[in-house]
Amino acid sequence: MTDETLVAADEVTKVYDTGKLEVHALTGVTLEVRKGDFMAIVGPSGSGKTTFLNLVGALDVPTSGRLEILGDDLAALSKRRRADMRLHSLGFVFQAYNLVPVLTARENVEFVLELQGVGTERAARATEILEQLGLGELADRRPNELSGGQQQRVAVARAVASKPKVVLADEPTANLDGENAEMLLAMMGRLNAEHGITFVFSTHDPRVVAHARRVVTLVDGRVAKDEVKPNGPQKED
Amino acid sequence: MRQSISIRYAVRSLRRHTRRTILAVLGIGLGSAVCLFMIAFVRGEGRMMLKAAAESGTGHFRIVPAQWPEIRENDLRLPRWQRIRDIVRATEDGKLVAAHARKEGLLAFGTRVVGVEIVGVDATVEQRANRLVRRVTEGSYLTADVPGTTVVGRGVAERLDVGLDDPLMVTVANADGEMNSAMLRIVGIAETGSEELDATICHVNLEDVESLTGLAGAGDLTVLLDDPKRLEKAVEEIRGKLSDDYAVVTWEEIMPELASGVKVDETWTRLTVAIVMIVVFLGIMSAQLAAVLERRREFAVLSALGMKSGRLVGVMLMEGLMLGLAGSILGLAFGLPGAYYVATRGIDFSGIYGKEISMSNILFDPVFKGDFGWFLVPLAFELALSATILSSLYPAWFAIRTDPAAALRVEH
Repeated sequence: MTDETLVAADEVTKVYDTGKLEVHALTGVTLEVRKGDFMAIVGPSGSGKTTFLNLVGALDVPTSGRLEILGDDLAALSKRRRADMRLHSLGFVFQAYNLVPVLTARENVEFVLELQGVGTERAARATEILEQLGLGELADRRPNELSGGQQQRVAVARAVASKPKVVLADEPTANLDGENAEMLLAMMGRLNAEHGITFVFSTHDPRVVAHARRVVTLVDGRVAKDEVKPNGPQKED
Repeated sequence: MRQSISIRYAVRSLRRHTRRTILAVLGIGLGSAVCLFMIAFVRGEGRMMLKAAAESGTGHFRIVPAQWPEIRENDLRLPRWQRIRDIVRATEDGKLVAAHARKEGLLAFGTRVVGVEIVGVDATVEQRANRLVRRVTEGSYLTADVPGTTVVGRGVAERLDVGLDDPLMVTVANADGEMNSAMLRIVGIAETGSEELDATICHVNLEDVESLTGLAGAGDLTVLLDDPKRLEKAVEEIRGKLSDDYAVVTWEEIMPELASGVKVDETWTRLTVAIVMIVVFLGIMSAQLAAVLERRREFAVLSALGMKSGRLVGVMLMEGLMLGLAGSILGLAFGLPGAYYVATRGIDFSGIYGKEISMSNILFDPVFKGDFGWFLVPLAFELALSATILSSLYPAWFAIRTDPAAALRVEH
């Protein structure tokens, strides 16, 4: 972990107007995500974890407060610029894997590279990433031919293929058994340690918390606790 | 070159619901085939009508005295008509120029009298220019160097109770308003099958009309084109070569009722094609919209990964394009045999209209034939692709409105 700040939230609020009532999902979050963080955001349901992840992922904009991602004020960015930011600087891992079902594992990874404008070498790069993550033999399989754990590892490969600064993972282990969850977390830990990729997890899962080096607890849309573990990850494989 | 992932994604998305895709392609194919068939048929029918009109003495266009379009008087004559005929014959499109002089008159045999429009012709040219010549079933058509002869319609002959070689007295009012009579010998009887037409035909040599009326020369020069598509250019060229003493009138101006009939047919066809394509359009849009709704989460994920709206629209349009291409090919497969059949065999309306159809003194064949040619291929693609690409726009717009954050929240 370095002192370089990738995400800086200052009194960020998010209110959803459902027409009949307003839902205050975030009520003033002040938090920094620094380069190299391996951070878990925890908290009870409705505490604002996913909302915060959506904002940090440039999928949404705050209602008030200032949220800077990679030095840019999110509220000032157009939809197109936010899409560019997601494509080039952010990676996503979703709870339900969300691989494109009609594409193979390699093509799922390639798709992101194609969106980035990578030319003929994209297939080789996708293969290389899958092999680095131990998924080489699964490259030509479609998602329905992969187990949940394998799909989630391909999703991680897709997320890191674009060489993002931050990978945001929303409940990445929620649908995985113990062995697969450990395998996934170990893989992400390696990417963090070896490539310096910053990971931010939204999670309920104690297995993720055990691997995290920093744990931020949200309660009622605010940061209740921001804890940095003194000696790195508590659990190593 | 490796195929783009976006293209593979579009292709495989269509294959996801094979049955739905096949039904959509079938719908586009059948719709296009119906439209192709109708367009080919009406195009051929229009061409047949024009050909029939042109070959029934109307021509594709006529050179007439300058006053004729205003007063349509048969006594008007073309000044220096032979020189004008030579000028027209010297142009690219003026290969077949038939001179006519028309005059209303009475034909009499014994106590029977019939009123007709006597048409003075250049018999040599008329044999090539007028399809009525081929309908002479008794005797033969006029010969240029035999004056005092006539060819009449079967209806005229029956009403006068005459046959071949019978003498007819023809009476017309000459240029001074005095009645002038002469004897004509029947050398041919034409039987078109149309009672209306057969009751009016009376062709004589041009010289006979000149001597009967005392008016020298031809009243019009009727021009038949090899290629009717050159009508506008030919008319423009001829107009440029003539003085103000002459006017050039097209078949549409000569026979406005026929021109409007052709236009009405074309309008109905366009309307029917539009209705068929709208039905196809709505069907495809519905299928595409269903496909978008099923893939909302997928689009949200792609959007979250950084896919821009333009690219998403591109994927949707590509799916539409592929449906359209497949539909075009199917449309051609279904439509071409029908269009070919109608172009070669035609549709026989004789059961409804009788052996011949006549309208405004024009003789039509009751077997209507469609048009057939390479034009059908681009037309099939144009119809199917425009329907599918346009029908993909709304689903594409719907797809790009998918909010990635909201779509992901649904999961939770």
